[in-house]
Parts: sequence; structure tokens; C-alpha cells
Amino acid sequence: MDWFEVLSENFLDTGGRPLHVLDQVAERYPVVLHGVSLSIGSVDPLDRDYLRKLKALARRTRARWVSDHLCWTGVMGRNVHDLLPMPYTEESLRHTADRVRQVSEILERPLVLENPSSYVEFASSTMPESEFIARLARDADCGLLLDVNNVYVSAFNHGFDAGAYIEAMPADRVVQYHLAGHTHQGTHIVDTHSDRAAPEVWQLYARACRRTGPVSTLYEWDEDIPAFEVMHAEAQKACTYRTQVLTAAAS
Amino acid sequence: MHVPDAGPDRGRELMPHAALDRVQRWMQAVISHPGTVDEGIGSTAAAAEAPGVALEDIVRPSARLTTAERVGIYHGMYMSRMVEALESDYPALQRLLGAHGFADLVRDYVQAHPSRSYTLNRLGDHLPEFVAAAPGLRRRGFCHDLARLEQAISQVFDEEETPALTHEAIAAVPAADWEGARLHPIAAFRLVCVRYPVSAYIDATRGDGSAAPQRGRRPGGVAVYRRAYGVYRLDLTPPAHALMEALVGGATIGEAVVLAQAGRARVLTEDLFLWFRDWMAEGLFCAMTFEGGGPGRTRTFD
Repeated sequence: MDWFEVLSENFLDTGGRPLHVLDQVAERYPVVLHGVSLSIGSVDPLDRDYLRKLKALARRTRARWVSDHLCWTGVMGRNVHDLLPMPYTEESLRHTADRVRQVSEILERPLVLENPSSYVEFASSTMPESEFIARLARDADCGLLLDVNNVYVSAFNHGFDAGAYIEAMPADRVVQYHLAGHTHQGTHIVDTHSDRAAPEVWQLYARACRRTGPVSTLYEWDEDIPAFEVMHAEAQKACTYRTQVLTAAAS
Repeated sequence: MHVPDAGPDRGRELMPHAALDRVQRWMQAVISHPGTVDEGIGSTAAAAEAPGVALEDIVRPSARLTTAERVGIYHGMYMSRMVEALESDYPALQRLLGAHGFADLVRDYVQAHPSRSYTLNRLGDHLPEFVAAAPGLRRRGFCHDLARLEQAISQVFDEEETPALTHEAIAAVPAADWEGARLHPIAAFRLVCVRYPVSAYIDATRGDGSAAPQRGRRPGGVAVYRRAYGVYRLDLTPPAHALMEALVGGATIGEAVVLAQAGRARVLTEDLFLWFRDWMAEGLFCAMTFEGGGPGRTRTFD
């Protein structure tokens, strides 16, 4: 085990066993924080209380970086606790970039954003998601967590080219990968984190690695969790893919 | 509303490009609607954000799904997530009401108390009071007690860690000072007053799967506390509960004993000794203060 990714919200309001365990992990391993409640795309004001606690947790764990999703989770003071997609417009881009800069300033560290998996596209969108993310990373000076499974899921659901999406990502901005399994419903794919990654996802991962070089990779499996050995084998598979790709590129 | 000047959409009213706030309010109104997704789409709240706008001009259909089916994915996941979150905090209540009964309760509850926090851990904050007033709920008193006890368990799990009084600190207190001492509970402590045997019901639900609530009232208290990061429950008889309630309410030990003995049940000195011995051994208190030595002076052992 090289490092740990921690779901931030599970540790913001606890003084019990979870935090006790996290403290021990952070003493021994590098930690990165990964959140689901930043709601960076929402039109609601930023939640300052949340950011204050997130900053304290990042300091406590000496987090290498703090990430969340390109999404919104609620408006009008409510939270539906889902990673809801954005309309990809110039207005959304300006709005989100401005908030990313504010958050980075509050946290005193660059923010890393993950591409979401999504099931709807807004008719008002004026650019593809990949362009929106690439421009956001540049305009707001943030890092990217490229979830390769999310690219595959959204590509199927919306009918875009997953390979072209990978090629459109600014390679120098990608600081982390996510890999995961999904559930194919026939008419659409749901990002369930409940299975082995599909072969097509591995191919996309190899393609992305060729562009970015060695980047930290986390395998997400948090539904129907198998024996540790099964999960570990998938994580090892990621190492093998990455090594093969980088060795081939070097020769 | 923005109307394109040319092209196939001419004459159709699109949700305007510069309306991120309206898109988000529309989407939230639809996916959090307690009825079907079609009812959500047709709701007043959703219609107010996109008057006269065709559904397909807000969300595109895919090659395989209609717009309503696509939005329906989020709509279905919303309520599932709410139920799942509350099940994790109120597993015994869920067991008591059954999957359908609990889901119905959650559907009504989140309409009255939608999440307003970044964490789902706060979603169930108002559930006990909601249960107490929920119309048509069978065994409502039992459910209310059960919800309050499960809420206390969740709260204790997440509370700050405060070290309990040590045996040395307790032994160092002069006998003459005990009557005027005040005991302060650890942060990870809750005292729940109950009318029904809900603590026994929780034990039963964690057993072989044949849990059935015991009939009849059984008033008393339940001390919920954490020790070595594990959460425990201690059932208290009415006089023990009265004593504990007085102590955590700020009474001195002498005052609390008098209050406990004023109840209907007879309290023996041996009972008091055993209760205090058990409570100290379980580490329920983190500090003792003593008033004495002049006005406003307080000594603390911790």
C-alpha cells in the first residue's frame, strides 16, 4: 500500500474511532482528501464552515492534495447529496473557475477536480465536457483527477468518443487517476464502483498513461466489496498496465 | 427567455444559456420530488423555473432514453440515498417499521426536513421529533423512544474523545468532600429517558432475526457512552436514572442522592454504592468539581 485516499466528509465531524484510525494512517502513509460536498458548481454561496473544517482536516493529515468533483450537490440551502452535472456553458465556466480560485485560496493549496459520471446532458450546453474541464483547469489553475471509468460511463450514456475525451485532457494537469467498475443497464451505464473495471476502461487508462506518464492511481471499489486479495489484484493490475505503457514509451 | 434567431429551434423556447441558477433549481425540484419523476417534472416548483419550455429543451434525450427516463435515474437515486442514510443511523427503527414502512416515513420526513448540511450524518437530526408527531404510525411511543436512543448512539459514536476520571483521581478525593462534589460526564455520553424497553429491542435486532418489540411500558433510562472507541449502553432503573439525571444536570452528589431517594422506589445505600462503582468503572465521568474554600472557589479533579 503506497498511500491512502480519504473521503473527507467521513472525518469532518467526528472525534471518535474514524478519526483515531485516520490519525494512525496519516502517521505512516501519505494521504489525499477526496470530497463529495464541495458543490463547486452550485449557484449557492460556498459553505465556509465546510471549507474551514476541510482545511483543518487537510492540515491534520498533511494531505498531499484535496479533490472533489466537477458538479453541484444542491441549491437554495439544500443538499441532495448527489454529484449533479453542470450545463457546460461560458457562464458555468466563469462561475466555476471563480469558485475554484476562491476555494484554493481558502484551503491554501490547489484544488483538484474530478470529471463526473453523468446520466443527463443539458440542452443549453455549448461545449463538450472535455473542453469545459480543460479550460477550467487552465483558467482556475487547478489539478485534475481523471476518473477513467467516469469517462467511459459518460461516453456511453451521451454517445461521445471516450478516446477523444482522454486526448483532450491537459496531461500536465492530471495529478491522479481513478479506476472502477460499473453496472451496465442496457440503456445506460451506472458508475457503481461494484465490480472489476471493464476491458475498455483499462484500454483508456493505458492511453491516458501514455499521455501523462506516471500518475498516482486509485482503484475505487466501495459497493459489493470483495475479498482484499481480489481488490488488491485489481490495484496491482493498474501498476502493471502503467509500467508496461511507460516501458514501451521509453524504449 | 432566449429564442434562437435561426435554425431548427427557431420559435421554440429554450432554457436560456445564462440561467445556471434556473437549471439547478429545476433539476433539484424534479429529482427531490416525493412522487414519480413525471410528477416532479410537472410540479409547480419545476414549472416555475422553466415556464413554457419543452422538457427536451432542458435535458437532451439520449439514443436509448427519453429525457424523463434520464432525469428519472437521478430521481430514483435520490430517495434510495435518503433511505440508505437514515437506515444506517436508525437500523432498529427500520427493522421495526419494515422496509416499506420505513421508506414511507423517510419520504415524508425528507419533505419536512431536507438535508441542509454537507454531511448525511445530520440528515436524521429531526427524525425522533418527526416520529413523535407522525400520523398513523403504529406503536408511536415505542418508535419515538427507539429513535431517540438510536440517535444518541450515533451522536456518542462521533463525539470528541475526553479521558475518563482515573482510579487515582477518584481515590484521592477525601471522604468528606464527596457529598459536595459534582461529576461531569465525558463528551461521548448521552442519557436517554425511555418509557419502553427499546434498548432490549436493539439487542434483539442484532440477534437471530426474530426480534419483536416487548409489549408494555418499562420506564427508566439508558446511559449511552463510549469507551475505548466502542459504544455501549447501560440500562438504568427509575431511581438509578433519577440519580444520573440529577448528576449530569449539575447537582452535587449529595443533592442527587436526595432526589433519587425522593422517588417511589426504595433506594438502598448498597444500590448507590454499586451504581457509583459501575459508573466509575465504565468511565462515564471525566471530571469532578468541588465547591468550597470560600465563595466562587472551585477545585477540579480530572
